Amino acid sequence: MFLGTFVKCFIGIWLILWSIGSLQAQRDSSRTLQTVTVRGFSPERFMGGLKIQRADSALVAAYRFQTLADFMATQAPLQLKSYGAGQLTTVGFRGTSANHTAVLWNGINVNSPMLGQTDFSTIPLAGFDQLSIQYGAAASCVGTDAVGGSILLSSVPNFKKMGFEASFGQRVASFDNYQTQAGFRFSSVLNKNWQLAGKTLLFGGQLHNHFPYTERRGYLVEPSETFQKGLIQDLYFRHKNRQQISLNIWLADNKLALAPSNPVSREITQSKAYRFLSNFELGKTMLRVGFIRDIIDYGKGPDFEANPNHSETDRFILRAEHELDFAKPKITARLGGEVVHYRTRVDGYGGGLITENRADVYVLVRYQVSSRLLASLNLRQAFITRYDPPFTPSLGLEYRLKNTENQLVTLKTNMARSYRVPTLNERYWRMLGNPNIRPEHGFNQEVGLEMKQNFSQKLKASGSVTAFHNRMDDWTYWNPDRGYRVENLQLVAARGLELQTNLSYQTEKLSAGFFAQYALTRSSQERVYDPTAQDIVGKQLIYLPLHTASVNVFVEIPQLAKTFGLGKSRLTVLWQGSSLRYYTFDNSKFIKGYQLVNLLFETNVEVAGLRGKVALQVDNVFDTLYLNVKRNAMPGRNFAVNLNVHI
Amino acid sequence: MKTSKYLVFKAPVWGLGALFFLASCDKTVAPAQPYDEGVLVINEGNFSDNNGSLSLVNRASTTASFDVFLKENTRPITGGISGYAEVDGKGLILVDNSTAGQDKVEIVDARTMKSIATLTSADIENPRDVVGVGSNKAYVLCWGATGSFPNFYANPGYVAVVDLSTNKVTKKIALQKGAEGIAVVGTEAFVGAVGGERLVQVIDIQKDEIKAASIATGGNAGNLQVDANNKIWAFVGREALRIDPAGKTIEARISVGSSTTKSPSTMAMSADKRTIYYVSSFFDATDGFKQKGEMYSFKISDTAISGASPLARRVFTGLGYDPKSNLIYAGSTPSYKQASYVLRYQPDGKVVDSVKVEIAPTGFFFK
Repeated sequence: MFLGTFVKCFIGIWLILWSIGSLQAQRDSSRTLQTVTVRGFSPERFMGGLKIQRADSALVAAYRFQTLADFMATQAPLQLKSYGAGQLTTVGFRGTSANHTAVLWNGINVNSPMLGQTDFSTIPLAGFDQLSIQYGAAASCVGTDAVGGSILLSSVPNFKKMGFEASFGQRVASFDNYQTQAGFRFSSVLNKNWQLAGKTLLFGGQLHNHFPYTERRGYLVEPSETFQKGLIQDLYFRHKNRQQISLNIWLADNKLALAPSNPVSREITQSKAYRFLSNFELGKTMLRVGFIRDIIDYGKGPDFEANPNHSETDRFILRAEHELDFAKPKITARLGGEVVHYRTRVDGYGGGLITENRADVYVLVRYQVSSRLLASLNLRQAFITRYDPPFTPSLGLEYRLKNTENQLVTLKTNMARSYRVPTLNERYWRMLGNPNIRPEHGFNQEVGLEMKQNFSQKLKASGSVTAFHNRMDDWTYWNPDRGYRVENLQLVAARGLELQTNLSYQTEKLSAGFFAQYALTRSSQERVYDPTAQDIVGKQLIYLPLHTASVNVFVEIPQLAKTFGLGKSRLTVLWQGSSLRYYTFDNSKFIKGYQLVNLLFETNVEVAGLRGKVALQVDNVFDTLYLNVKRNAMPGRNFAVNLNVHI
Repeated sequence: MKTSKYLVFKAPVWGLGALFFLASCDKTVAPAQPYDEGVLVINEGNFSDNNGSLSLVNRASTTASFDVFLKENTRPITGGISGYAEVDGKGLILVDNSTAGQDKVEIVDARTMKSIATLTSADIENPRDVVGVGSNKAYVLCWGATGSFPNFYANPGYVAVVDLSTNKVTKKIALQKGAEGIAVVGTEAFVGAVGGERLVQVIDIQKDEIKAASIATGGNAGNLQVDANNKIWAFVGREALRIDPAGKTIEARISVGSSTTKSPSTMAMSADKRTIYYVSSFFDATDGFKQKGEMYSFKISDTAISGASPLARRVFTGLGYDPKSNLIYAGSTPSYKQASYVLRYQPDGKVVDSVKVEIAPTGFFFK
């Protein structure tokens, strides 16, 4: 009910705003639109026709102590699958599974090669300078897994802000949960040719989850404990002759215990990741080398220390890219090749060393056909030891229907093949895996209308409508009917509609913003592969809500109370709603829908020469009961105080 | 004034009196309650979904009422269900959550399914079976805390002795590891196991103490059934064992069929306790490891079990025999992520009908 009303209101407000906007734009064309500048080798440049959302940097900053899982929950169209507070949380896009989300760190896919997915509860938000959410298939551009969408995490050096700045942050939250961060940023001129910029961040967290209740309205609250620590190090050396050498390091250690007080049965999962990446850029040529080690140890009780179930995979990455620019016709072509060597030792595979090589060659083309029309054509072929994924092309078009100084209306469309290389578990798991399992492949089509409008210098708006259809075949399934052996069984069709709108108002005394998103997502398995699949065909995929929506409203003033040193302050209200989620394939059982409201108040403080920020956060303000995929209750109303100091 | 006061009181008193009178005349027929009749289907649920449930199947109907505990108590069962029994009008639902320390026994009014009390951890950890052992007294068989393979049964099993007049666990009786399967004969309870020392252990149900004598079975016997002659039957490996509870001896070991791949499981006794129904199943390596199997029966007087003529060519996760309708109830589970079916069969294997139930029916309670 609430979602139906929400959608109607949403569309209503949207239409009214646009009609007013069009009139105003005709009257006044002297104001300018902000253009988005894209820097460096970011893959977004070649994602013509796709929907890409740059995460709100203020909200990202406000969530700096939390994980990507906490942040993504505030972004409506994403489907989060959470096992509990501080526990495994995965993200699916547009009715696809968590395995169809590529997570890219500075352009490198960091999904666990064993599981083919990323646990978002293990990724701190603080370590990245830029976060983009890209919807739809982009496998031709970024490679495997980008079937439903991608999360792009990037480090961006700030050469302009010269000097050295240290910062320290502490979060104290309900249930004995604590997080600490310390780091520094720097930028300096080394000599007449070279500049250095970078940052170092150390982070740690102790989430004890000492809930004052064991049940909420009859649903259990699972006892769990999470300890996190990590380091992020970015170094960029830039030469004045367009050379750049960079080093990115990301070390992470996440230890989760379920039933931590039970010495025999507590379940401990420790995941460690060591990620190193180095770039050498000379003009338009780039060479990239990387090493990633993913380790997962699991055990119950004393077995965790004595004899854990161990998984370890190393990846050695070598990538070369060269970009060609033509003035007439205005074409940018990026040619690239990548080789990755995998070495894996997993107890579940038998424990021995398994190696394989994967390679990709690709051409990414961006063609500015006219001032109004942009085309992007990407072609990719991957090669893998023993078998090859399908050739993967994509075509995207963007046409500016209106392009005045105050109004920009763009029609976008994209058609793309996509693929997912099976995970190492799917290929090598003893007995149940299948070395010859085929890669999944998909075909995604989408069309969208994106609008930007400056009503005045103070009031600006933007919005988009996107419709998509994504058909994925050879979808793998650990088939219970075959003793959970993995098979290329299913054919899944996902389709939906997404709305997004953003309003911002800014004067010297006040700024305010409104950002709302809504998604209608229908995704179903379409193939009858055995008699019992009759009950499943056409049914909504599990854990996928038909409706999701979120709203983020903020008000900011430049000075709260001068006498107390309280400066710029912002109050943010976050609302999210989700309709019911089925959790059985035949849709016979479901988890109820819910609405959550979170509040965030931040104020900048300057006392005795120290600059800092204090934030007060109230999550689940109305103490809503909502459940995770284990059908346990998520925490009720909870509070946090965040403190950040800069020196 | 006095008179009028009296009159005011008098009318309701007379009314009440009439009610009591009527009630006392009809003492033997209490008002019918929603769960007086029918078959409770024990849906085990999917392990990590923690969604066990009881469905009520009316004998005359092919539709079931789902999740009757939730319906009557507006709060859920918070785990899988590993057993159900009724003792003196009270139902005990064994609830096994996927996380340690979260298991329960829900005690309900058996006629209304309304909650009376809840037993929780540390009294109850991995409950596996429940049986009445006297007036207002039940034994709940538990594994205790489990670890991981190969030391899965990390702790000894135990019986939690439940006093249903106070709804408290009064005692724990330590057992072998992996304790599962319990049968009561006379003043003794016989307890098998799916791990541990391969014994059937004996408990004095009057003293709530384990007896020194136990029966070595040579394998795991996790399901014990009592026949018309008060003998106990169990499957161990591919053999059916007939145990003499009085002599604490194994009277007979009979090979179940001649197959070297199939294993017997899920035993159910007929109403006269002279026929045993069971499922024999295997994973077919020649057909993508699909689980295949059949339902068979044998007589307790048989000296050989041929396993040659199946009653039904299907695999079942649970079997039960309804003494009132003389039908076999068989739970068919397509997967643990979709609704299952209960198929009703004549004792000769002729299928009667099917009823859609919930996730993974593994047992039945016939009211």
